[in-house]
Amino acid sequence: MFKAVFAASCLLIAPLGAQAGTLAIFASGEELATEGFNAPHLTRDGWTLEFSRILATFDQVTAWQTEPPFMADGPHIDGAALAFGGPFTVDLANPDTQGRVALASLAAPAGHYNALSWALVPDASGYALLLEGVARKDGQDVAFTLRSADRVVHACGEYLGEARKGIVADGRAADLEITLHLDHLFGRADKAAEDAMNLAALGFDAFAAGGVQDISLAGLHIGHVGEGHCHVAAQ
Amino acid sequence: MSRRSNLAALALGMAAAVAPHSVFAHGAVMTAEPTQAIRLQARYDTGEPMAQAQVIIYAPNTPSEIWGRGVTDRDGRFDFIPEDIAGRWSVQVRQAGHGVMAHVDISDAAPVLVATPQQDTWAQRMVMIALVAWGGLGTALFALRKKGRSDASA
Repeated sequence: MFKAVFAASCLLIAPLGAQAGTLAIFASGEELATEGFNAPHLTRDGWTLEFSRILATFDQVTAWQTEPPFMADGPHIDGAALAFGGPFTVDLANPDTQGRVALASLAAPAGHYNALSWALVPDASGYALLLEGVARKDGQDVAFTLRSADRVVHACGEYLGEARKGIVADGRAADLEITLHLDHLFGRADKAAEDAMNLAALGFDAFAAGGVQDISLAGLHIGHVGEGHCHVAAQ
Repeated sequence: MSRRSNLAALALGMAAAVAPHSVFAHGAVMTAEPTQAIRLQARYDTGEPMAQAQVIIYAPNTPSEIWGRGVTDRDGRFDFIPEDIAGRWSVQVRQAGHGVMAHVDISDAAPVLVATPQQDTWAQRMVMIALVAWGGLGTALFALRKKGRSDASA
């Protein structure tokens, strides 16, 4: 059984002479960014949220080929790096037709880019993440601007989702995605109150006064790669 | 592709293989042989199993194409029988926004789980996969076959 040569089929490291392709990096806040929090997916404390802007600034964006695969279990990634740089400020509430925003694209050596690192950093205005919109509950409309100046570094493993991403081969294009899970920020009413995410999330009651308010991202873990995890550290 | 369906299908194959030929009406023929399978178990860092989670499998020779799909059982376990393709089999398990990918290297030797995530220091609900068996399914089926023979002679 399994008489084929093992090493030859291990595609995580690009074979010599393999053609290069392109690798593009996107960011997404998923449907919660574009459609907002609507029943049954209200915030953990029962608010409807509608976003007009979600500005996020990403820096030090780097795709990696790692062997063995990096499992997001620490801050350091060892492997072949492809640096996209930054900073890139994008509006996640107004993405393309596929629900994502392009950050950058580069020619890339063939192989599987199975790790991604990036930092959420303050932009020129001093804020790394700014969420602007209207919250509604019990007939009350609250215009809000929530902003964070936190600098948070992410070391992520392989993108996890319905399609496998990051495999550059035969001159073809591949992509990776930085994914912000906004339910880790506001919680979800359709999940149990004792769910670990709801226990950590801020909810919206604390911001019911509206206007411009500062928030901290400490411990919230909103950065992912699809449904794949990242090691997160404040910088 | 679930453990139960794998067991059921192969147990049926075993039963057919040992049954008298006269049982096969309308010329239907079924053959079966003992095989080896990989059994994984996915759980959260709390110890809670990832029950009924979505599973996607990628084979070594076509790592960007889905080789198979399935669902974990109530204990977070999932069995699959890989093709005769050596190399790295990757298994993705996802549930409710949490996901994990396990990589199992298969060669002539016993399979090796390449890497598995470790719980970090943040309040993050990590998910993990453990390689819990290789060849166990074949053993189980052998037991089923013996039981079937015993029942037939009773």
